[in-house]
Amino acid sequence: MQNKSLLKKITGSREASLVIVLIVMLIVISIFSPSFLSPTNLGQIFRNNTLTMLMALGMLCVMLTAGIDISITSTLAFAGMSIGLLQKYDVIHNTFVLFVIGALIGLCCGLLNGIIIAKGKIAPIICTMGFMYVWRGMAYVISNNNWASGQDVSGFSDFGKDGSPGPYIILVIAYVIFFIVMKWTKFGRSIYAVGSNPEAASISGIKVDRVLVSVYTIMGLLAGLAGVLSVSIYASAQPNMQYGKEMDVIAACVIGGVSMSGGRGSVVGTFLGALIISIIAKALPLVGIDAIAQNLIKGVIIVFVVILNVITQRTMDRQNLLRREM
Amino acid sequence: MAGKSGRTISATPKGGMKEKILSLEGALIIAFIAINILGRVLSPNYNLTNVMRESPRYLAEIFMLFGMGFILVLGDIDISVGAIVCLSATMGCLSSNAGLPMGLAILVTLLTGLCCGMINGFIATRFTELPTMIVTLGTQIIFRGIAEVSLGSGGSASLKDYEGIGILRVKLGPIPLAFFLIIICAVVFIILLSRTTFGRRLYAIGSSKTAAKYAGVEVEKLRFICFSLIGFLAGVCGLFILASTYGANTTTGQGFEMEVIAMCVFGGIATTGGKGNLVGAFISALIIVCLRIALGQINMNTQLILVIIGIMLIVSVLVPSFRQKYLALKK
Repeated sequence: MQNKSLLKKITGSREASLVIVLIVMLIVISIFSPSFLSPTNLGQIFRNNTLTMLMALGMLCVMLTAGIDISITSTLAFAGMSIGLLQKYDVIHNTFVLFVIGALIGLCCGLLNGIIIAKGKIAPIICTMGFMYVWRGMAYVISNNNWASGQDVSGFSDFGKDGSPGPYIILVIAYVIFFIVMKWTKFGRSIYAVGSNPEAASISGIKVDRVLVSVYTIMGLLAGLAGVLSVSIYASAQPNMQYGKEMDVIAACVIGGVSMSGGRGSVVGTFLGALIISIIAKALPLVGIDAIAQNLIKGVIIVFVVILNVITQRTMDRQNLLRREM
Repeated sequence: MAGKSGRTISATPKGGMKEKILSLEGALIIAFIAINILGRVLSPNYNLTNVMRESPRYLAEIFMLFGMGFILVLGDIDISVGAIVCLSATMGCLSSNAGLPMGLAILVTLLTGLCCGMINGFIATRFTELPTMIVTLGTQIIFRGIAEVSLGSGGSASLKDYEGIGILRVKLGPIPLAFFLIIICAVVFIILLSRTTFGRRLYAIGSSKTAAKYAGVEVEKLRFICFSLIGFLAGVCGLFILASTYGANTTTGQGFEMEVIAMCVFGGIATTGGKGNLVGAFISALIIVCLRIALGQINMNTQLILVIIGIMLIVSVLVPSFRQKYLALKK
């Protein structure tokens, strides 16, 4: 009982500290550039990072079960390329149908991941690494090294073009659904249970395999959706899109306090983590740091945050020990 | 109790001919021969001279294979090697362009790699609570970030001193220098891992860190050495990349980390630690190089190789897993 309340305190303070970091950052940035907090600018930040924010939700579920999925951007490219080509060759132009197709492709990719990881008992990083190659390669193969240009996807890109509410609506719906599911439903809590202790979860009647398959399927579904959104937002589809961005998604989760060993993390934390990363990227030029140094700063912040985490955890443990000795 | 390797005192593997062929290394050698026959059948140009001529393009990353093997046996992972390759190639290129003699530029390249590896090792051993995946994820972004900053707005640099770097492109008879060095490295590291106390200690750490610690193994010191080693080998890789592309840009070495891990896993090294050996990994690296050259010669869509590598990777880990399940059912 005491253990649980301690855990709650840690995760609770985690989000509080993220909010403090965010507020301090915003104050500093708006001193340098008062226009930063304007609605247009904030809208831009969200629009540019819709994909990371959306996929971070799936990554949260996967990392809660102590897994990892590095195939997401390949799934994204495969789904995005598929729907790009469907439009290029004038097969389908209906926005809704295209969204469904993209999401279904992602879902199937994720399902495959989940089945192999849960039934084959294979390390998630290895399995998803394999599919990272397969889907990226498939994106190249089906496209035959061609692009789907802005002209090909002209009608479709209205959904995600600058000023259209489309991406924001999807983002808000996804975050609301995940917040509710992860916090108050049986399924959401069973993901946490599997992550904290798979054996205990299995003994208490949770079908661990089924939970694993579903988290990877959800991840795939979101990656597929992100692929469709990417085509819509950037008005083009090419096989190498978002290459290497899976690390951004993982970094957003880690900054947001999701533990890689499973069982710890929250939707709010993930959101704040993703937001902090995107604000840093947008604000660096405004405070006089060259945009080239963006990645360097991002990396330093990630390392700093995880090390700080360890140090606070250590002091906390030591204090608890001291209290017990007295 | 059987350890992670599944060996017990009463069930040590016997060394019959049949077991040797059925073992993973045997299967890999057969696959290697099959790939070569296939290449020969598919393309008349697939012969030793051409393979030797084409190989340096693909060989550089094999240097990192040995370091990655050590790291995986420890139960750790290093996904920053691609970025280290990028940074060391950048530093080598820039320092040569700034007027340093080629010998010193080569030294700079290697030292950059070593330093990056030591930084990784320092963080990983000081903060043992952190999974090494997270540590190297962070440092990966930092290393590539430093390379981006030093390359400036153009994002690429080309080597002015063509002549000097030629020293790395020499051939010993028909064999390129890179190939020659890789064979030497392979022999040294295979013996180091499988026949020395140092190597056996790595397996002990990979099987159980706590047990190894109580048995008197200096766990953190050995981990630090391994991380420094893979950093240095990434520096060597960066050097040969520099020699074959005459320059560096921000995407140099992108994806190398996954390719190297894939080669190791395909060769039977488990990412959970304590299992596998470098012989398998080395053969599988050669298989992938030959496959690339063969597919390149018949003008197949070069990206199709990604699909093939991915499927091979998944199948190669699925088969032993299902075999174990089948054997358990049989009992």
